[in-house]
Amino acid sequence: MRRDLRTIVALMRRGLNEILRVPGGSIPGVLAPTIFMLGLSAAFGRTARLPDFSADDFRTFIVPVGMLQGAGFTGAATGVNLARDIERGWFDRLMLAPAKRPVLLVGVVGSACLRCLLPAGFLLVVAFALGVDWPGVGALALAAVLVMGLAAAAACYATVVALRFRTQQAAPLMQIGALLAILLTTSYVPRELLSNWLGAIADVNPVTLVLEGVRQGFVGDVTWSGTWPALLAIAGLVAAFGALAVRGMRRQGF
Amino acid sequence: MCNIIASIEAIEAIGLEREFKGGVKAVTGIDLTVAPGEVYGFLGPNGAGKTTTVRMLVTLLRPTGGHARVAGFDVARQPAEVRRRIGVALQEAALDPLMTGSELIELQATLHGIPPRAVRKRGAELIERVGLSQAADRRVGTYSGGMRRRLDLAMALIHEPEVLFLDEPTTGLDPTSRLTLWNEVRRLRDEGTTVFLTTQYLEEADQLADRLGIIAAGKIVAGGTPAALKAEIGSPHLDLVLAAGSDVQRAREAIAGFGDHRPAAEGCHLSIGLEHGAADIAPILRALDDAGFAVAELELKQPTLDDVFLAKTGVHLEGAADAEPAPEPELV
Amino acid sequence: MRTASVALARRALRNALRRPQFLAPLVLFPTLFLAVNVGGLERTTALPGFPHVDGFLDFQLAAAITQSLLLGGISAGIAAALDIEGGFFDRLVASPTPRLAIVLGRVLAASVIAAIQVVYFLVLGVIFGASIKGGALGVLYVLAIGTVAGTGFGALGVMIALRARNASTVQGIFPLVFVLLFVSSAFFPANLLSPPADVVAAYNPLSYIAEGMRQPIAFDNALAPVLEGLAAAAGVALAAIGLSVLALHGRLRAT
Repeated sequence: MRRDLRTIVALMRRGLNEILRVPGGSIPGVLAPTIFMLGLSAAFGRTARLPDFSADDFRTFIVPVGMLQGAGFTGAATGVNLARDIERGWFDRLMLAPAKRPVLLVGVVGSACLRCLLPAGFLLVVAFALGVDWPGVGALALAAVLVMGLAAAAACYATVVALRFRTQQAAPLMQIGALLAILLTTSYVPRELLSNWLGAIADVNPVTLVLEGVRQGFVGDVTWSGTWPALLAIAGLVAAFGALAVRGMRRQGF
Repeated sequence: MCNIIASIEAIEAIGLEREFKGGVKAVTGIDLTVAPGEVYGFLGPNGAGKTTTVRMLVTLLRPTGGHARVAGFDVARQPAEVRRRIGVALQEAALDPLMTGSELIELQATLHGIPPRAVRKRGAELIERVGLSQAADRRVGTYSGGMRRRLDLAMALIHEPEVLFLDEPTTGLDPTSRLTLWNEVRRLRDEGTTVFLTTQYLEEADQLADRLGIIAAGKIVAGGTPAALKAEIGSPHLDLVLAAGSDVQRAREAIAGFGDHRPAAEGCHLSIGLEHGAADIAPILRALDDAGFAVAELELKQPTLDDVFLAKTGVHLEGAADAEPAPEPELV
Repeated sequence: MRTASVALARRALRNALRRPQFLAPLVLFPTLFLAVNVGGLERTTALPGFPHVDGFLDFQLAAAITQSLLLGGISAGIAAALDIEGGFFDRLVASPTPRLAIVLGRVLAASVIAAIQVVYFLVLGVIFGASIKGGALGVLYVLAIGTVAGTGFGALGVMIALRARNASTVQGIFPLVFVLLFVSSAFFPANLLSPPADVVAAYNPLSYIAEGMRQPIAFDNALAPVLEGLAAAAGVALAAIGLSVLALHGRLRAT
């Protein structure tokens, strides 16, 4: 068990090198969710004047979307880095290690969970500076858990894609998967204001539950009835994509 | 059931095969054994199936036929056990350019479950052994090709493997770096490590290998010690260039009893097999002298592994080594 | 010059079509945003001050086209940067190829791809219920503005590539594209934008380009917005081509 933990920590540390040792390289990824939040609220801010809009202002409503976007892009970036490792042969080295495949996956994906806090944190600082209300420590803690969970799920999905295509050119497929999952939800407006088709998709999209979970505190209070579905959804996503990713790793060389 | 009768060989392959998508058979039935503590050379041109064979033996590729055991464990059914006991330096020294040499060694050690207390000590020892002490704290992105290979080797040795796989370890290295690596392989053999070395360089195989397997088109065409393989082909021969204007046919008749004549270049060239090796040179020269022939040049040539390859496959290995490598087949 | 430009344009087009993974984001991402914007913000057409449209899709189509054309510019820039990184650019410079053709070829390819992007979104819009109020003439207006704008964005991409010399720097411009779009009236009517976007939008050429294309789709063929859109697109194109030629000269002087 201790050996597995050491392996996970070592791989996570390597995963953090992208931001620690190539600082300029991570700036677009850190800035992008904030740019989206600012841009969307500048363009669509008046949407908050619609009847049935549950928040005081549009920016507050979409802050959680930005946080999850950061998580999605971070997860996609993990897959792109893995694809680069595959192209360069480094992945072979990982496959030659006697460590269990799930342990290796946790190490690879784990760094995404930490890295996603950077764009989310930056976005929150900007949002609070622009007048978004403090949601409370509990809400932020829950948001952090859900954001990290989504980053893990997105990283597992991107890992599946990377293992299947074995090239960085599959990057758009990784990014669009995460983006689709996050945007086909109650991302811009509450459920009542969605069109029929988007509402139908949002109803079955588990990320809707995650988004609503993160939105607690920013809009409305944190409640157990709003929290447990979000936690369940994120656990399910991580389990499903994680299982696929482990299967993909085990099937390497077949 | 397979473990009840434990293999005493370090590496054993029986009928090993690998078929890729489209029916491409990169390896078509490899049988080989490598004894513990031996340096086994796997020699062949680009595209012969060397790397595919190695990747199957080190559990990176699943065989589509046959089976193999490394360090006593089946590569397909017990891959984790195999990985614990092998070290691998692949054709591309795949290293993370953002990390330092020390960090990479420590990461490798951690991946192999070496306890933290031992990681630093063992890492420092290996870095010194491969001559990278000065560069250990520099990022690998700044390393030369030779330095990367040495680091790759150190990483392959960090967990003291029983069997070490080196896939074309000196390709692209300058002569000095190549010699350094050769010395390291000899040292490893002396320490009792089994080394499976793939190479396309004749001299490397000749110098380092205790035994060789020569592979072409996915199967082993010859196997044995370098000396035995060369002896199988024949004895050494003597190439002579006579003085201009000599009657080559008469010269041939003058030395007919010393060995078989071989094809030679046009003009005043002769080539004759030496049944008794170098001891025949002086009598041949005396016979030519007695017959009134002057010798302008002479060269004693031992059979080479290229001669062995030529005899078994009909093509030279050295020319084949410069040819375009076979395209990477898609995994099935 | 013409022969070389056309030959290089054909090469650029061929390469682009052979690598659909580079082309796909040009239409996939804007299509996704179009779908989400329409599905999520349909009701905003009821906001006081929102111009009368038959549907939010009619309004958003021009935004999607503009976004797609901007991404096309980045894609042209990445392709040009890869040519520089891979040595093909040096090969051209060392050959008798007219220097200007190196830029014009890439820009010409960008204009062809731009036309394809415009047609894609118009067809997509019609399939999903949009109606082009301006009819066939309206389609031509949209095509003209879009193609000229796409040419300009392509030239901008080439300029960035010539200055940056590597693909990942060009890729890093990607978020900036969205900044420029958000501070325009591409996505939402100018009178309903929040500050400071409402002020910036008045000076942002993307506003005029998007509104120029929007007019024939959502409203009618009134000439003023169309001509403003065309002028803005032409201004961007001329400026961008000029800048990329300057960047080319700068790069050649440096080598």
